[in-house]
Amino acid sequence: MAKVTINGIEVDVDPSMTILKAAEKAGIPVPTFCYHPRMDPAGSCRICAVELEDSKKVVMSCVTPVSDGMRVLTESPKIHEARKTNLELLLLHHPLDCPVCDCGGECPLQNMSFAYGATESRFESHRNDEPEDMKSDVLVFNANRCILCGKCVRICDEIQDVHAIGFINRGFDTIIGPPLGKKLDCEFCGDCLEVCPTGAITDHFVRYKYRPWQLEKQQTTCSYCPSGCQMFVETENEAIVRVTSQEGVGPNEGSICAVGRFGFNHVQIPERFDTPYMRSLHRLVPSSWDEVLPEIASQLNAIRKKGVDRIAGLISNRVPMEDAYVFQSFFRKTLHSNMIDTGSRYSFMNAALPIVDATGTLRPLVDHEDILKAKVILVIGADPVSESNITGLFAKRAARKERSRLYVVDSEAITLSNRAKDHIRIHPGGEQIFLDVLSEEIRDSQNMTPEWISRKEELFKNWNVDPSAYQRLLNDLKSAETGVIIAGRKLFRIETPVSGVEALLRITGDLGWIDRAGCGLFVLPEAANDLGVLMMGASYEWLPGLMDSSDKSSKGRWEEAWGGRLSYGPGGGLDAILKGIDEGRINALISLGENPIGHFPVGSRVREILSKLDLIISIDMFQNDLSDMAHFVLPVASAYERSGHLVSAEGFVQPIKPTMAYWGESLPDWQILDRISTAMGNPMGIESAEGVMAEIVRFLPDLSPSSRNGSHFVGGTGEIHLATPVVFPGILSSPKSIQAGTALPAAHKANRESVSSRYLGWREKAKEKSGIPAHPIAGEGEFVLELTKSLFHSGKMTLIDSNLKKIQPEGKLRINRQTARKRKIKKGEQVVLRTTFGTCSFVVEPSPAVSEFELTFPVHFANGQVLGLFAPDLEFSAGTGSPVTHRIRVSLETQNAN
Amino acid sequence: MAETKHVEVDLDDIEKICEEFENREGAVVQVLQKVQEKYGYVPAEALELVGDVLEIPKSKMYGVLTFYSQFYQEPRGKFILKVCVGTACHVRGAGLLVDKVREELHIEPGENTEDMLFTLEPVACLGSCALAPMAMVSGTAYGKLSADKMVSLIRQLEEETVHEEETV
Repeated sequence: MAKVTINGIEVDVDPSMTILKAAEKAGIPVPTFCYHPRMDPAGSCRICAVELEDSKKVVMSCVTPVSDGMRVLTESPKIHEARKTNLELLLLHHPLDCPVCDCGGECPLQNMSFAYGATESRFESHRNDEPEDMKSDVLVFNANRCILCGKCVRICDEIQDVHAIGFINRGFDTIIGPPLGKKLDCEFCGDCLEVCPTGAITDHFVRYKYRPWQLEKQQTTCSYCPSGCQMFVETENEAIVRVTSQEGVGPNEGSICAVGRFGFNHVQIPERFDTPYMRSLHRLVPSSWDEVLPEIASQLNAIRKKGVDRIAGLISNRVPMEDAYVFQSFFRKTLHSNMIDTGSRYSFMNAALPIVDATGTLRPLVDHEDILKAKVILVIGADPVSESNITGLFAKRAARKERSRLYVVDSEAITLSNRAKDHIRIHPGGEQIFLDVLSEEIRDSQNMTPEWISRKEELFKNWNVDPSAYQRLLNDLKSAETGVIIAGRKLFRIETPVSGVEALLRITGDLGWIDRAGCGLFVLPEAANDLGVLMMGASYEWLPGLMDSSDKSSKGRWEEAWGGRLSYGPGGGLDAILKGIDEGRINALISLGENPIGHFPVGSRVREILSKLDLIISIDMFQNDLSDMAHFVLPVASAYERSGHLVSAEGFVQPIKPTMAYWGESLPDWQILDRISTAMGNPMGIESAEGVMAEIVRFLPDLSPSSRNGSHFVGGTGEIHLATPVVFPGILSSPKSIQAGTALPAAHKANRESVSSRYLGWREKAKEKSGIPAHPIAGEGEFVLELTKSLFHSGKMTLIDSNLKKIQPEGKLRINRQTARKRKIKKGEQVVLRTTFGTCSFVVEPSPAVSEFELTFPVHFANGQVLGLFAPDLEFSAGTGSPVTHRIRVSLETQNAN
Repeated sequence: MAETKHVEVDLDDIEKICEEFENREGAVVQVLQKVQEKYGYVPAEALELVGDVLEIPKSKMYGVLTFYSQFYQEPRGKFILKVCVGTACHVRGAGLLVDKVREELHIEPGENTEDMLFTLEPVACLGSCALAPMAMVSGTAYGKLSADKMVSLIRQLEEETVHEEETV
C-alpha cells in the first residue's frame, strides 16, 4: 500500500491507483472532462491537473500513478491558474452558443468556465465554422462545440466495440465523425451522446425542444429487454422529453441501448387508448369505467357460475411482478380458473420448464460480473447484443479486455462473432446434434459408443463444424477454471428446444459447474419480465414461487397464505385455451397486453376460434387484431406511468417508477383487475402496487428488491473491478437487519447449494439421449428462413414508435452477400419466398453475416403475410405447449427470373 | 476544377495487398501506402475493402488517412508539380512560379488539370535551397527556375506524354 496525502488528508491506496482515484477515495472531487471510469485514461483534456507539493510540479491526476509518501494539492493558486489557462484555450474554439445549445445548463464546460472564471481570453480566438453533420437520422455532430476530449470515440471503441466514429483530420481541423463522410451507421446506443461533455453531439429527436433545468428526472428500470437497465426518464409537463443514463448507476453502469434510449415516443401518441370502449351494435364506442365495469362484472359473473376453468387469461411478459401476481390471484381466487398463460409461452417457456425442473429456480447461477471474469464463454443460439444488450456488452468486454476465450456457435455471424476465438458456423438445424455430441463427450470422452462417434463425424461432415474448433472448445470447457454458457431466443426456437436446453443443463452439471462459483448457464429471457411473470405464477403450471399448481400441498400453502379455498380446475396454457374455446368449454378471454392472433399465420384458425367467445376483454394500449374483436377494450397504463418491479436476466428485482401521469383514463393492470373484481362483488382489497409488493415479499422474501451499481476502473494499470450492491430502503427481507444497520441486499443469483441438491436428482433421471435423429427443418426449398430479433426493436409495439421507426423503418430480408451476387440479386430488390403454405415478397439486403443457406427477417416486422409462409395448423410442442413453427425451408424467386 | 473520375477498385487487388498484413497490428499506414502506390491515391472503396478484409475499423483507418498529408483521397494527375514555396524559394520568387502554373494550366494549388496530366502541389521545402527557386516532378529536381522555364518544363512533359502515347 502507498500512503498519499491529498490536501492534507492521508489515504492508504493501492500503488497501482492513479492520483484521481486516490483523491476520490479521500472524498476530494477533481474536475475532469476526458476521464471516464469505465475506460482507459486518455489524459487529453488537461483539466484534472494537480500539484505535487514536494516537486512543485503540475501533473495530470487521471494518468499519474501514486507513489508512497506523495503529497498532492488538488486546489492551489498554481492549479487554479493552470486550469483557467486550459479553459481559456478550450474556449478559443468554442462557439459560445450556449443560449441555443441543448447542453446549456448541464454542460461541464460551461460549469467549469464559470467555476474558474475564464471570462476573458488573452488569446486571439479562432472559431471553427464547420457545418453540422446532419446526415444521420439519429445523431447530429457539431464539430464547433467539440473540445476533442475523445470520450465518444473511446466509448464507441472500448465499451461498445462498434468503432463507428473516429478523429478526422489533424490539428485545428480535427473533427469527430463517421468515416468517409458517410452517414453514421452503428448500433445507435447513444452512449457518445451521453458522455459528451459539451453540446457537440445531440440527437435529432429532441434537439432544441428542452432546457435541461426544466426537466423532471425519475430513475426507473427499462421495460424492454431483460438486461434491467437503470435509466432516467426526463419529462416536462407530463410528457417524456428524453431518456438518459448515468455513469455507474444500475447493472448497466451507464450504458443503454437504442431501444431504451430512444424508444419512448409511442406511449405519447394520440393513437393510444385513453378511455374504456364497449361494443355496441358491432362497433366499439368510447365509454367510461363506471359504465363498463358493472357490465363486465355481470357478464363474468354469469360465466363464472357455469363452472371452473370457464374464463381464460393471457398476460404479457412485460408487465411488472405485481400485476402478474394480481392477475393469477384474480383468476384462481375470483374466477376459479387456471386457464392462464403468458407471452413467455411463445418460446422462453421452452427453457423455463426444463431449467425449473433441473434447478428449482429461474434465477441464474451466474451474473454479468461472472461473465466478465469467466475464462471461457460459449454463446449458442443467442445474439446477446440484440437480445439483452448489456449482457452483450459484458461478453464483448470479457473477450476484449479480460481475454476470456469466447466461442460462438451460430449459423449467422452475430455482433460477438468477430471477438470470438472460434465462430463455429453450424448449418441451421445442427444445434441439437452439436449439443448432444458435446454433452456426451463431456460426460465420458473415453468411452464413447460407436454410435456417438459416428454422430460426431456426422457433425463435422454435414453440419459445417470445424473439428479443430470443436476440439478447442471442448478442451477449454473442460480445463477452464470458470466458464459461462449463454443461450437465448434462437436456441429456444430450434426444432427440439427442450432437448437443447436439457443438453446444456447436462453439460453444465457434468463440467462440475453447478458447484463451482462463477460458473453456470445464463439464459436470456425474451422480455423485460419473463422471469418475474413466471415467478409470480402467471402461467397455469405454477403458483407464485414456482410451486406446482396441481400439487395439493403447494395449493394448500397458498390457501393458507391467502386465507380461503382455491377452487380452480386443472387449467391449461395457450394450446388448451384455444382448444377449450374451440370446443365451447371456455366462454370468456381476458387479455392483458397479448394478441394471440398476431403470433399465427393468417390462414390459421385462431381468429375463427376466438370469434366463438361470448366475451373478450382486451386490456391494451393500442388497437390490434384482438382489440378489434373485443367486446370491451380497457386502456392500460404504460411502463412509464406505473410502478412495479421487474426481474432481470441476472435475477435482480428492480423497481419501475411512474414518470408521468396515467394516459387519459388508463390504469395499471392490477387496478383494472381489482376494479373488475370489486364490481363482481369480490373486492381484492388492494390499495397500491407497493402494497402488492409488500405482500409478495412477505410470502417470498427472496424476491426483495436488489440491484447493483457499477463502479469500475479498468485501466492500463490492470483490472480493478468493484461493484456496489444496492440496498433499497423500504421493503427488505429482514426488518431487523435494517435496525441493526447490517442490511444486505437480497441475493439475486440462485443459491448454489439448493440448486446442486435438486440438480443431482434431476441428473439421475435425465438419461443420455442417444440416437435421436437430427431434426430436419420442415418444408422444401434451398434456404432456411429464420425470424430474428433486431437490435432496434422490441416486440411489435416499438414499430409505432416514431423514433425507432426512423432508425429502422422496415424489415428487410437478409441474404448472404455471395449468394446474392451469384443469383444477381441487388440490394433493395424485391424477391418472393415460397413455401407450400404461402408466398410473400420481401425487400432484400445482402449481408456477409448471414450464412449461405439462410435467410433472416426481423421478427418484429413479421406480419400475418410473412407468418403465412409457415404451416397454418395450430401445432404445439408436446412438452411445453409452445407453438412449434419457428423456421422453415423456403424457395426463393427473383423477379428478374420471371 | 475538373470533376475527378474515381478508379474502379478490384477486391482481388486489395486482397493481394492485405495478404502480408494479416494478423499484424499497427500496419494501417503501411497498408494505406501500398494502396496509394497501386492507385495513386486512396479510393474510398479501397479503404472500405481493406477494413473488411483486415477487420480494422474504418473509423480508425479514416482517422489515419486524414491525419497524414502524404495520403490523398482524390485521384491525382500523372505529373505532380511540387513547387517549393519554402523560405529560400519564396524570396527567390516561388510565388511567381505558382502563379504561372495557375495561369497556364488553369488549376489552383491541390487541383488537377482536366486531362489528369498535372497536379499543382506547393510544398514547404525540398531541401535544395541553393537551387532556389526549385520544383520537383516525378522525383526529378529542377533548379533555378523562372516563370518561362516553368512553362517550357510543362510543355516538355506534355510532349513526352504525347510521344509516349504515339509509340504505344
